[in-house]
Amino acid sequence: MPSLTLEATGIPEEVEAGDPTNRRVELMLGALASAVLLFIAGMIIFTLIKAWPSFANNGLAWFGAGGNVDQQLSDIFNSPADPADYVYELRAWPLIWSTILISGLSVVFATFIAVFSSIFIVHFAPTALQKLIEPVVKYLAAVPSVVYGLIGILVIVPWINNNLITEQMRASVAYVIQLDGSSVMAATMILTVMILPIMIALIVDSLRAVPLNWREGALALGVNKWRAVRTVSVRAIRPAIVAAAVLATARALGEAIMLAMVAGSIGFAPNPFDGILFLFEPSRPLAPSILDGEEGLSVVPFGETMYAFGFILIVSCVFFSFSGWAIRQSLSRYGIGAR
Amino acid sequence: MGIETTDDERGLSEAGVPPVRRIVVDGETPPVRVAHRIGNGASPGLDEPFAVEQDFEAVWVEERMRIESLGVRFGQKEAVKDVSLQVNSGEVLALIGPSGCGKTTLLRSLNKLVDLTPTAIRSGRILLDDEDTAYMDDTLLRKKVGMLFQQPNPFPMTIFDNVAYGLRERGSKRPGKKALEPIVVDALERAGLWDEVSDNLNHPALSLSGGQQQRLCIARSLAVRPEVLLLDEPCSALDPISTAIIEDTIVNLKDEIAIVIVTHNLQQAERIADKVAFMYLGDLVEYGPATQVFNAPMAERTKDYVRGDFG
Repeated sequence: MPSLTLEATGIPEEVEAGDPTNRRVELMLGALASAVLLFIAGMIIFTLIKAWPSFANNGLAWFGAGGNVDQQLSDIFNSPADPADYVYELRAWPLIWSTILISGLSVVFATFIAVFSSIFIVHFAPTALQKLIEPVVKYLAAVPSVVYGLIGILVIVPWINNNLITEQMRASVAYVIQLDGSSVMAATMILTVMILPIMIALIVDSLRAVPLNWREGALALGVNKWRAVRTVSVRAIRPAIVAAAVLATARALGEAIMLAMVAGSIGFAPNPFDGILFLFEPSRPLAPSILDGEEGLSVVPFGETMYAFGFILIVSCVFFSFSGWAIRQSLSRYGIGAR
Repeated sequence: MGIETTDDERGLSEAGVPPVRRIVVDGETPPVRVAHRIGNGASPGLDEPFAVEQDFEAVWVEERMRIESLGVRFGQKEAVKDVSLQVNSGEVLALIGPSGCGKTTLLRSLNKLVDLTPTAIRSGRILLDDEDTAYMDDTLLRKKVGMLFQQPNPFPMTIFDNVAYGLRERGSKRPGKKALEPIVVDALERAGLWDEVSDNLNHPALSLSGGQQQRLCIARSLAVRPEVLLLDEPCSALDPISTAIIEDTIVNLKDEIAIVIVTHNLQQAERIADKVAFMYLGDLVEYGPATQVFNAPMAERTKDYVRGDFG
């Protein structure tokens, strides 16, 4: 019986010299990746060009405080039709401060909650509960933000208004601002809940990736379970925690609809020197400001001002991505995780 | 009371193994004074049999742990069946046997690490210094019974932090670096790693070579001053030279610490063990002095295994 030859099966005897497939795939994928990068770079440059008149007319004062930002925006919106008379004056600090405050607080709270709940899910929850919690948490990431906004405006805001804000508080700031429950607190609470699922999903995955070997090594030294997890597993996944926080920051910076609904939509800079009261003061971050200005986009200087807000948001996201990357680099020297 | 000299030379000279003589003082319940060979100076070459000096030194052999009809099952599968053994300080006990015979499970029962597997059910008793480990706090037991794993598993921290880890995390108050330093240095010295890392204690432990990592893990265990050290095939992932260094370290340690080692490597067991337990399919087939198990095994299965007929 003749031995089976490759020829009989129709499979080529030898690898074709200079097989072009690899090269072709490389080129195609490379072109796709480059296109994405080019698109992002183009978008940033386009936004900057569009935003330039707003920055150029204000200089660094654009970032400063001064006057009523809502009044300034309204003046820009009501600019005369003649390009020579366009109004650009803007002191955007209240909006920037609101963005920093609400996103920053949410990311800090969410990071703590996410780390502890991930530890619970991975290491302490009974298996049945684990199997229930994890998909539910991941599903929460897909809830549309307008639903959160709706719950916020119908439940959280009235609750804060009725239960947490006292008459003295209202009276003490009555000459500056009305307190009605739409506040830094409502926005931070809901934003924290919104960015939690993605953080938990990432941190749970990285906790699972910590070698069992390490935890067993710690346990075998007579260290209790909680300490072993904290000092070995959590330590090892610090790069992943940073990565999750960066992703959450980007999500928080970009959130518009929910914040437009619950943050107060007033260009006011909550003042931490007001004590606990400042949590109940309304404000409006940059992203909801763009949303609120939507009907004025046809007015040229107003549109350019909105582009300026957009540019600040894009640049912040890029900045956070890079600093997150830098922190991960320095942390991963001793650990594992996302690089 | 008399001194009985057992001559284990039978059959040894043909194997090229230098004779080992034991002087057993009988008439005494444990602790029993046994003289046995020392010879920790040179590491035995891997191809040649024991290069052990013909010296005698009296060492207290004292019971540390006693395993009484231990059984472990994972669900329906019986991994260890009715095993009774004794772990003595001053001795190295080697657990040998083919893969899946339950030796690692037995080892992990000694520090209750097997309890981490949710399906594991244990029966029988394990005593540490006459105290039932079932009623001991896991963390307390594991401080006294250290363990070394098959894969070196230093933590992702500096070398110093690795060795100090067990002491730092044992109580609510973390000792300072100053207080820890002498202990860390001592542990690294006893693990035979000090000379290589003394200049770079602040380097990441994961940058060490495999053999150094495993010795770092030994140092990490020694720093918490265990009474018993469990070794789960500690050399299976290492090269011959690292293996020889680690075997040396083990032999050096046995005077202070009772050592139990699981190994697939019969030559290794022969080189370092004083007592050998042969397991097969969860049963303890034979338990006795190393020379006897290797040279004059009682059971057929042991004979086949040590001759290399299966395994």
